[in-house]
Amino acid sequence: MRKHLLTTAIAATLVASTPALADGHLEIVSGEPLELTIQMNHARYPVYKEDWPVEQKARELTNVHLIDVTVGANMRTDENSGKTEALNLMLASGEIPDIVGSSRIKDFVNQYGPEGAFLPLNDLIDEHAPNLKAFFEERPEIAAAISAADGNMYYIPYLPDGKYGRAYWIRTDWLNTLGLDMPETVEEYEEVLRAFKTQDPNGNGIADEVPYFARQWPELIRLVTLWDGRSSGSDTYHDFMVVDGKLAHPYAGEGYREGIKNLARWYDEGLVDAEIFTRGSSARDFLLSENLGGSTHDWFASTSGYNRLSSDIEGFEFKAMAPPASVSGKRIEEHRRIPIKPDGWAIGGTNKHPVETIKYFDFWFTEEGRRLANFGVEGMHYDMVDGKAIFKQEFLDAGPVNRSLYQVGSQLQGRGYYQDYGYEIQWSNEFALEGIALYDEGDYLIDQFLGVAFNADEQRVYDRYWGSIRDYMLERQQAWVLGNGDVEEEWDDYMAQLEKKGLSQVLEVMQSAYDRQYGG
Amino acid sequence: MQSESRLSKIGYHLRREWQIYVMLLPTIIWFIVFLYKPMYGLQIAFKDYSIFRGVDGSPWIGFEHFEFLFSNDQFIRAFWNTIIISGLNLLFGFPAPIILALLFNEILHATYKKTAQTIVYLPHFISSVIIAGIVITAFSPSVGIVNTVLGWFGIDSIYFLTKPEWFRPIFVGTGIWQEAGFGSIVFLAAIAGVNPSLYESAVVDGANRWQMMWKITIPSILPTILIMLIIRIGNVMEVSFELIILLYQPATYSTADVVNTFVYRQGIQSGQYDFAAAAGLFNAVVAFVLVMIANTLSKRYSRTSLW
Repeated sequence: MRKHLLTTAIAATLVASTPALADGHLEIVSGEPLELTIQMNHARYPVYKEDWPVEQKARELTNVHLIDVTVGANMRTDENSGKTEALNLMLASGEIPDIVGSSRIKDFVNQYGPEGAFLPLNDLIDEHAPNLKAFFEERPEIAAAISAADGNMYYIPYLPDGKYGRAYWIRTDWLNTLGLDMPETVEEYEEVLRAFKTQDPNGNGIADEVPYFARQWPELIRLVTLWDGRSSGSDTYHDFMVVDGKLAHPYAGEGYREGIKNLARWYDEGLVDAEIFTRGSSARDFLLSENLGGSTHDWFASTSGYNRLSSDIEGFEFKAMAPPASVSGKRIEEHRRIPIKPDGWAIGGTNKHPVETIKYFDFWFTEEGRRLANFGVEGMHYDMVDGKAIFKQEFLDAGPVNRSLYQVGSQLQGRGYYQDYGYEIQWSNEFALEGIALYDEGDYLIDQFLGVAFNADEQRVYDRYWGSIRDYMLERQQAWVLGNGDVEEEWDDYMAQLEKKGLSQVLEVMQSAYDRQYGG
Repeated sequence: MQSESRLSKIGYHLRREWQIYVMLLPTIIWFIVFLYKPMYGLQIAFKDYSIFRGVDGSPWIGFEHFEFLFSNDQFIRAFWNTIIISGLNLLFGFPAPIILALLFNEILHATYKKTAQTIVYLPHFISSVIIAGIVITAFSPSVGIVNTVLGWFGIDSIYFLTKPEWFRPIFVGTGIWQEAGFGSIVFLAAIAGVNPSLYESAVVDGANRWQMMWKITIPSILPTILIMLIIRIGNVMEVSFELIILLYQPATYSTADVVNTFVYRQGIQSGQYDFAAAAGLFNAVVAFVLVMIANTLSKRYSRTSLW
């Protein structure tokens, strides 16, 4: 404790000696710093580090100190269930920290907030958070989308900026080697993948090429869009979707059946990575660096970065390609960045300083706070050039910028903040920008389902049935793709099973929640 | 009057043997903290439980969770998978350490015996996560040793870990590899306890080693084998589910999903603690019945029993 006071004293002296901050216009408490406990389970860094430069800077500016008390942290990113698991463990432990930040927090706070586990934020925002208030007044649809069934907001979301997320990528140098054109339709795409498999584009004399691969296996299922199916209604895998105001699940649609049938054929022919279900997150790194991978569906910024491999692999060029036209001629890109993520932070129900906490949340929506959340610390990670935050060159050179930013405490998805796409543009290379221009031109994006907030009765129905239905869907899905079953033969039985397991009950409660939330 | 003398008798006994009771204490504390105290929470199987409201604050709902459980075919399947995997474990996994112990007993060269024992004990001390990593790598279609060897004989590589029919052999085999060595210790101890004069007289009578094993060693350690078997049957419902979680995929749920993994997915991942508690409770009841039956049978036919 004494040591703490000492550091505080030193920090206070530093603040006092810096003229720009002397007026303390962002300071939330004066004198003794306010310590708030925080649970932080962000996808990549499941802790809150008190020595992050961004946290240090935020302390200096606001005089609020966040103390890490995260429990149940884990790095599992596969199904996002790891995040919910940690939140459940936290609640079961009986102590809710002052601030709870996490990926996948929305359903959790909307379920337990009304029971008293988290504070409703509406009044606090109205009275004490001018920046948040202004933001929500300008974007009322966001407030609607994150509110719980009782009409209250229980968390401040992480709000992604920019539209594009994942795209199709292909080894264009392989296309040239084999004298092929960029595939425009699903038939052409199949031909290209087959050529990658059989015509040895990497020239080592062995048919070791892996035509289509993915870091996350659901990205294989994403390909059902090429047969007019859907794999998810939002940027979360296996999610529900809205068709003409009606809730539906993509895995119970005809296009999905057709898509799975064809993907099973592709898998059988070796057009798809044989180990797609177990290779895991290092698939992209491994298959591209070993000159084996041909095509994938992955994020713009990070995937374009692999073109740096051209220094090791003669002619290496990995470019974005427009989504191939489906069998009916539609070209869609199913994945996009959605305007509101179910990620962010909330105020624990036992927090004794709700006013200070909402002011702290508000701080991250001020200009300075937003820059801190997006770019790191001024002078350390970026400089202001003509009123814009520009990353320092050495920071850009230090490896993938998003990873570097997590390591200093910026771009945390467990923090409620408004992303600034300017951060990503700066480290998107020419290949990414070219790809984005291509996608802009074609206008391939589709609307996304932003989720619903259940009341207690709806929640009970959803909890009861959905887990088993989802397990069953994924089980049949993998079995069909792997050839352990035949989708055509089993489809009727599959649909009957879904019905028996309660799919229509789940859709019914989702529909009622949806109508209430978005005004039917 | 009588109870008083009994109490004083106990008091005297405690004073005299207190060191032994102190040694017992850690185990009793362990049982209370980790087994008896959690039993209080079992009531959530009959409640509409909310983690936030807590065990006492949640309303009673009777047998609703159980009714839903038995109408859930994934649970029924998980239940049968548990029985089948355990059955295979019992069939192949139970004799393995006995055979191993008998084999070790026949080795005469001391250094060789010690080295071999150490090697087979070692896997027991490796964490399941590492074991799963080894298994996944060994059975990988592209770099795995198993498929490489199959390749020498012209067999196409098999993606073992996504094939439902391969899951059980791989799982049971891994379990044997990991535990057979360590499990043989108790049987070696039993063999060491066999009266040497029996062997001496057998040698005088001209018995060979094979006959000695069948006629002396095995009958002598039979009580130990039976006790171990009863304990094993009591644990039939407890397959090592960490290893299953690490090895299974949605594609192999049909043969790999056991009650404990089902409880894990429903309870911890989907947050339905009450429903999962009902499944776990049912599991425990089945295990209890099994151990009762095994014990009664053993008592009747061999006069060896746990209690």
